Amino acid sequence: MSYCVNCGVELDGTAHACPLCQTPVMNPRQPVDTFSPPPFPTRRKEVPPVSKRILAVLLSAMLASAAVCCGVLNLVLKPELHWSVFVIGAAIMVWIWLVPPLLLRGIPLPVRLLLDIVAVGLYVYLISRDVRGGTGWFLGLALPIILTGGAVVLFLGLVLQNGKRSILSGITIVIGAAGAVSFFAELFVDRWLYQCWTPEWSLIVVTICAALIVPLIIVRRVPSLREEARRRFHM
Amino acid sequence: MPRQREDHKDWYKLDNAGVLYTALQKEEYSALYRFSAVMDRPVDPAALQRALDKTMPRFPSFRVRMRRGYFWNYLEFNDAPGPFVKEDMSNPCQPVRYREDSGWLIRFFYYERRISLEVFHAVSDGAGSLVLFRTLLAVYLRELGHEIPNTCGVRDVDTPPEPEELEDAYARYIGKTSLHGGRERTAYPNTGTPEPFYTLNTTMGFVSVAQVKEKAKSYGASVTEYLTAVLIQTILDKQHRENPRREKPVALAIPIDLRSFFPSETVRNFILTARPSIDPALGEYSFPEIVAQVHHYLRLNVNRQRLRAVFTGNVRYQSNKLFTIIPSIFKNRGVSFVYKSTGVRPYSGTYTNLGVFQVSPEMAAHIERMEIILGQATVPRVHCASISCGDILNITFAGTLCESDTEREFFRFLVREGIHVRVESNRRCDPKGGSPCPTA
Repeated sequence: MSYCVNCGVELDGTAHACPLCQTPVMNPRQPVDTFSPPPFPTRRKEVPPVSKRILAVLLSAMLASAAVCCGVLNLVLKPELHWSVFVIGAAIMVWIWLVPPLLLRGIPLPVRLLLDIVAVGLYVYLISRDVRGGTGWFLGLALPIILTGGAVVLFLGLVLQNGKRSILSGITIVIGAAGAVSFFAELFVDRWLYQCWTPEWSLIVVTICAALIVPLIIVRRVPSLREEARRRFHM
Repeated sequence: MPRQREDHKDWYKLDNAGVLYTALQKEEYSALYRFSAVMDRPVDPAALQRALDKTMPRFPSFRVRMRRGYFWNYLEFNDAPGPFVKEDMSNPCQPVRYREDSGWLIRFFYYERRISLEVFHAVSDGAGSLVLFRTLLAVYLRELGHEIPNTCGVRDVDTPPEPEELEDAYARYIGKTSLHGGRERTAYPNTGTPEPFYTLNTTMGFVSVAQVKEKAKSYGASVTEYLTAVLIQTILDKQHRENPRREKPVALAIPIDLRSFFPSETVRNFILTARPSIDPALGEYSFPEIVAQVHHYLRLNVNRQRLRAVFTGNVRYQSNKLFTIIPSIFKNRGVSFVYKSTGVRPYSGTYTNLGVFQVSPEMAAHIERMEIILGQATVPRVHCASISCGDILNITFAGTLCESDTEREFFRFLVREGIHVRVESNRRCDPKGGSPCPTA
């Protein structure tokens, strides 16, 4: 029998190294037994991943059914208005949000979020094609807001993705992101409507966000306050 | 008690522990554990399958599949063929799939001289599963031609199960007063680098029961208390080596078999956990002081009245009308979220001691030793479990993390205490001595 010179434990005769510290077995009086079976099987097997295909098919069928029914109904109900386009567009957008993540396993979060943002952009573009005013407001107002909102969601997704941040840090980042979105939203609205930036409501929102963020950062930084907050809020 | 559905198949409400374990169920995680018996000769798979076919009808609460209800999940009688014994693999306790493998929530494996049973924790706890396993081993040995009596807990497979074996013992012993311990402090997490799915690194140590008993006695403690203290000391030292700004308490979840306090023959779940802890922020504890702390904590807190009050509180929410009408999909998310703050954060790990695997002398002659593996934790940390048979005490560390610091220091501590330890592991060892784990 061989013992690990580091750990002092007796090793299995088939072990090439100590499983605790990886020190190799070099026992001239008893070489490693390469004939006996190892204490544990070496055959590796993995359970198959859970199939989400049925759910994907069910969702696709539901959305397709809603889209087709509305499309047919539109032929007889107010055919002069293309109202079914909105429903069909919404069904396509929801399909892009829900079904590809079910079918494509391991799809990276940035790719998934980009797909979602593109879906929203396409849907709003579809609406802009069918309402008065043409696509001007889409390019001048909706697209910048969607891109900014998308960038913020992407940022949040990447920052909070691994789940290693504390709840307090997560809340702080989300509040900060909400403030940033409102700030840019008013900027784009003002530029579109008045061709100049006159900040009003977004400043109130940003101030409230800042007022919430500062105490959260202090609580996060001071261990005693952090423990107290966890206790009070059962976090 | 089993209920009758319209199709006249038995179904069971999940017990209190079962609700929790099904709520935690994910694609990458299932609450599973494994018992193994190493026999005196290589396993005969055909005889084992015959024994299994004879044994399973005696244990209907294991012959179930999980069903998702609108408000609660439940267990339903599984009339699919099987379960079938399979050749063992290197990565045990893999997550269960409710729709795969005919919905079986228990698995049977064989490898050389080892027979293994894996159980989804929603079905039964360790003590309940050992009743099935002991009976299976007895029937298997009979299949090989040995005379094995129905003693020492071996159930007669020719008789129907007693109603008490299928009862929800929590509901039977529920009291009037509930006790909510309040929020426990966040403990040192003792986590590490996660291995890729699905790898469960298992390291087993084998020690002499007599040696450990003698050592524990020298500290005035039981084997469970002594080994709990060794594990706490190991984790305390690990945290100290990491030199954190402020050291956190080290706390362990110690499952308590409630059958020893509330007589029940149930083979379903009937456990609760105790939480001995040491806070290094208060000052340095010597090892005998840690043993004393664990010893007194367990003696003070593990008593009939307190345990009943605690599980009464746990069970009451199940009958809460408001909680009942929440759809199970949201309820499971809620339970899982609460578990993170009350069942993961306040603990540094789990240590469970199943004690002595009692068998008749006729069976003991054919069983070399018993082994236990606790499946993966919800976070990459290592779990510890022990079981003894004869004079061999098996202590197993299992986890999905790369590093082996906890088990290494634990077994080194036992060696320094003068206890002889033999180690076996399923970790991939590089013959040249390098670590297979790039971050270890």
